[in-house]
Amino acid sequence: MTGSRISKRYAKALLSLGQEDGNYAEYGENLKDFAGLCADNPEFSKVIGNPVFSVDDRKKVLNAVLEKSPFADLVKNFLRLLLDKNRIGGIEDVSAFYTRLTDEISNIIRADIITARPLKDEAMDKLDVVLAKITSKTVKIKVEEDESLIGGLVVKIGDLVLDGSVRAQIEGLKESLNEG
Amino acid sequence: MTGFETARGRSLLIAACTLIISVAFCGLAYASGGGDEGHGGSVTDLLYRILNFVLMVIILVVVIRKTTIKEFFSNRKEEIRKKLEDLKRDKETAESRCNELEKKFKEFELQEKEIIEQFKADGVLEKERIIAEARERATQILAQTDLTIEREIQAARNKLRQDVVEMAATRAEEIIAGRIQDSDQDHLVNEFIESVEKLH
Repeated sequence: MTGSRISKRYAKALLSLGQEDGNYAEYGENLKDFAGLCADNPEFSKVIGNPVFSVDDRKKVLNAVLEKSPFADLVKNFLRLLLDKNRIGGIEDVSAFYTRLTDEISNIIRADIITARPLKDEAMDKLDVVLAKITSKTVKIKVEEDESLIGGLVVKIGDLVLDGSVRAQIEGLKESLNEG
Repeated sequence: MTGFETARGRSLLIAACTLIISVAFCGLAYASGGGDEGHGGSVTDLLYRILNFVLMVIILVVVIRKTTIKEFFSNRKEEIRKKLEDLKRDKETAESRCNELEKKFKEFELQEKEIIEQFKADGVLEKERIIAEARERATQILAQTDLTIEREIQAARNKLRQDVVEMAATRAEEIIAGRIQDSDQDHLVNEFIESVEKLH
């Protein structure tokens, strides 16, 4: 909880700087890329986040990576700051919070769609429209497949869950029958 | 007070009477023995005999007076009298105690009867109370048992229903999963979109 709160503060600080120079979207992408790099290379993540190594050594490793990256200078400095403050291990949380904050600024909402079978483009377009209608925001959709749904789909938008799957209908039918 | 009333008077009287009787008997014995023998020897002999007898009587009287036989018998008589009185008193006390005990015994018998009657009455009341409680308890147990049976039956029904529903649902899932087509998925997605639109 404390780590999340601190990550949120760092994300807000970077966002405020990004809003000032108008590059907050780019900074968000840079953070997301760096978080993805750490996730894909756990050894790198362990080295820069391990306090057993000196800050200088870890910073050398980080700089070596950042010099070859196309990240904005502000983002590079931000990542060095995180390393100095021993918060570089929470880069995924910082990136997630930053994304959420930029989504709020851009009036974007993210929806997870879980479907039993692949959705057709026509259905995706309809879903995009109808979800934008009910949220009054631009919807960014992420689709996953789950055969255990049998048929239909489930939409998750934040805390809102809309379940149109066959499995949910069968569960509802079971509850009705059990209640007699 | 006359001379006969004192102890000494009585002793003298006894001695005189004894002497007179002795002389009388001696005269009678002499007369019966025949008076034709020589008068001088017989009279002297008689006098000696009388004298001898009188001396013996005097000695007896003196001895009797000196000894405590009379006092002994008097004391003994007094002791016996006292003892008889004590015994009489003890007898009266014992009789009184006996009467008292008999009276108490009768009271005890009466109390015993009363206590037994009271115990019987209490026993009857206790018996009635216990029977009433037992009946009430039995009624409660029967009611509780009926309730428990009803609950168990209901639980068994629910469990059976759940099992049947679960089996039916599992079977339904298998059948639907085996038969569902892309067209069905499209239909389900369209239905979902329509229902979401209605939310707006």
